[in-house]
Amino acid sequence: MNLSASHPRWAPYFFIGPFVVVFAIFVVYPLFQSLVLSFQQTYGPQTSVFVGTKNFADLAGDPAFWTALRNTFVYAAASVLIQLPLSLGLAMLLNRPQVKGRAVFRLVYFSPALVGIVFIAVIFSLIFQETRGLLNVFLKGVIPGFPQEFPWLQVYVMPALVIASIWMYTGFNMIYFLAALQNVDRDQIEAAVMDGANRRQVFWHVTLPAIRPVAGFVILLSAIGSMQLFELPWILLGGAGPEDRGLTVVMYLFMNGFQIGDLGYASAIGWSLAILLMGMTWIQRRLTKGGEGR
Amino acid sequence: MGNFWRTLTARLSPGALIILAIAILSTVVVLAWGVPGRQGMTLWTFATNHAEMYVPVAEEWNARQGDPGREVHILSLSGEALEQRLLPGFRAGTPLADLVEIGTVICAKCFNGPVNDVGFVDLTDRIEEEGIGERLNEPSLGPWTTRGRVFGLPHDVHPVLLAYRADILEDQHGIDMGEIETWEDFVRVLGPLVEDTDGDGYVDHYLLNMWETNGDLIEVLILQAGGQYLNEAGELTVASEINARVISTIVTWTAGPNRIAANAPEFDNAGHQMRIEGYVLCSLMSDWLAGVWQQQLPQLAGKVKLMPLPAWEPAGRRTSVWGGTMLGIPKATEDFEGAWEYAKELYLSLDLAKELYERAAIVSPVKEYWEEAFYQEPNEYFSGQANGALFLEQAPMVPRRTASPYNELAKTKVINATVALKLYAQEEEKYTVEELLPEAKRLLEEVELEVGRQMERNLFLKRDEEEGS
Repeated sequence: MNLSASHPRWAPYFFIGPFVVVFAIFVVYPLFQSLVLSFQQTYGPQTSVFVGTKNFADLAGDPAFWTALRNTFVYAAASVLIQLPLSLGLAMLLNRPQVKGRAVFRLVYFSPALVGIVFIAVIFSLIFQETRGLLNVFLKGVIPGFPQEFPWLQVYVMPALVIASIWMYTGFNMIYFLAALQNVDRDQIEAAVMDGANRRQVFWHVTLPAIRPVAGFVILLSAIGSMQLFELPWILLGGAGPEDRGLTVVMYLFMNGFQIGDLGYASAIGWSLAILLMGMTWIQRRLTKGGEGR
Repeated sequence: MGNFWRTLTARLSPGALIILAIAILSTVVVLAWGVPGRQGMTLWTFATNHAEMYVPVAEEWNARQGDPGREVHILSLSGEALEQRLLPGFRAGTPLADLVEIGTVICAKCFNGPVNDVGFVDLTDRIEEEGIGERLNEPSLGPWTTRGRVFGLPHDVHPVLLAYRADILEDQHGIDMGEIETWEDFVRVLGPLVEDTDGDGYVDHYLLNMWETNGDLIEVLILQAGGQYLNEAGELTVASEINARVISTIVTWTAGPNRIAANAPEFDNAGHQMRIEGYVLCSLMSDWLAGVWQQQLPQLAGKVKLMPLPAWEPAGRRTSVWGGTMLGIPKATEDFEGAWEYAKELYLSLDLAKELYERAAIVSPVKEYWEEAFYQEPNEYFSGQANGALFLEQAPMVPRRTASPYNELAKTKVINATVALKLYAQEEEKYTVEELLPEAKRLLEEVELEVGRQMERNLFLKRDEEEGS
């Protein structure tokens, strides 16, 4: 069959054309405009002043931005270091044929991901309410002398956020690991067992290297998702929380851009975050590549 | 063309041809779909109950208009949705209503550019020329004024009183609330009630709904005390002695051995339960909140009474202000005169003032209506008190507020300072105002620096200030 006769040369351009046009209008152009905006102070398109790198310089000296960055990194690190091992553990558990009702457990663990993050935040605000919250009512019932009020969302801001995110995303990431585990070559595992490898050795030397690309992808996805944290603290804490302990980079961007109206500064925050994320992606790719090479 | 069509049908599969046909057809339909032409004027409001009240007024107005272009249509949007339409409308020229009703926070955001670029029509001269300013409660214009120019008609006054559980305080404990003139009296007279009477190890009552994280209530008390975050000239006054004293007092109320306050948030089930159970006995109460309680807390009917706020000093101010709404006319309107006439009819009408009070307990800023009989009627919910008359007694004394996009930022930072002050108090075990005052001042100075840094960045405000001076 002569492919060039049945598919004219313009056919690929014809089919990708609509996407390219939409992508250029709604992604490339706004990206370029936001870059321009990050060098301006503006009050709408008619009123703007070029300020050079002032927005970025101000950002570097802005303590609230550094607080937001620190909080975001702490949350991202906690999410990756606590949530992903939990997801992997659950996946390994549910990957065992001996476990009865695996399909039900998979659904149960995955189901929080079906609920929107806004609902999760509302549910956890009811759990952590300082006087009549579910957690306090429970603890008062089981621990004699437990304080009448315990302000979880003031004292343990970051742990509360991490717990809520674990509840939401552990099951979601479990699905990725489960899919990866089901693709691990059974022959390799059996060969390792026959060679005398114990369970731990099988995990470290056979299973983990086999799921490494998926694990790398999940780590990257979780890290990027964590860096974009906004709705959860915004609703759970009603803003940045006491002493800005729940302030995140995206929240700070929102506050500057849409509460104060300083779109130039907000764009500078957005670009700083984008550069950070690009750096993280580059590092992740380097690490994964290195692993694949071995 | 024929050749192109033959090539297309020959080279593309039937499936691809169907997709192409659907794409072309849908494009034609979308392009040909007529956008309904705009007829008459539109009013956007963020409150459903406001919209319900305005529809009859609009219908009456529309019936009187010979010109369909002068008819008014009311559209109710959530606060967020309204903001997301209003600000791009001002800044990027997307379609806007002819009249827009907004609250203080959104309005302040409209004021962060050059004064000439504020998206609302400057109403200062109209208000003066037509004598409207004299008819209105003067402090109520404050939140809608920037750099000396007024951009909206005020909808309300929103004085603040103290609501208390009369069934517990007066009937059960025989306390004479008339004895209380100042906050110091409040703590002295009611303080003994903060105790565990049933021996379960938990305090049964706290005196006041107040918490260091409640920025609204902190601001209400700061305004009552004569403090503010920014003055009329737009300069920061966060680190004032008054503000420091207020946040120190709040910390002494919420921490330590003499704690008298608890956190019972409004619009919240847990908060409502605490009010119903008498866990908190008193709340700061604006007129709009009186309306909310009547709807959301019917369990308290006949158990609550109102009194002026305790003052910060003898013979001091017995009220404050909380919330606010205005009606503005965007510059983009095609019929300013029509919109202005309707705005006056709506906001200055006696019928609406009556409706506003009867439906939402909100008192009008139009002074000539303050003696109307409907404000004097006893209300069973407030144990037979005339809540309208009680709020209006304090209306002329409400503090004048300033409008600045940085007020909200300062408010957030003052919460942080108050939280930090409470932690300091607990760590150092210092629970008197005098002990806390130096640290409060230091924390507020930090807030002032931080907000000042943000304000310093705003070239437009600076330029207006320089031109003004």
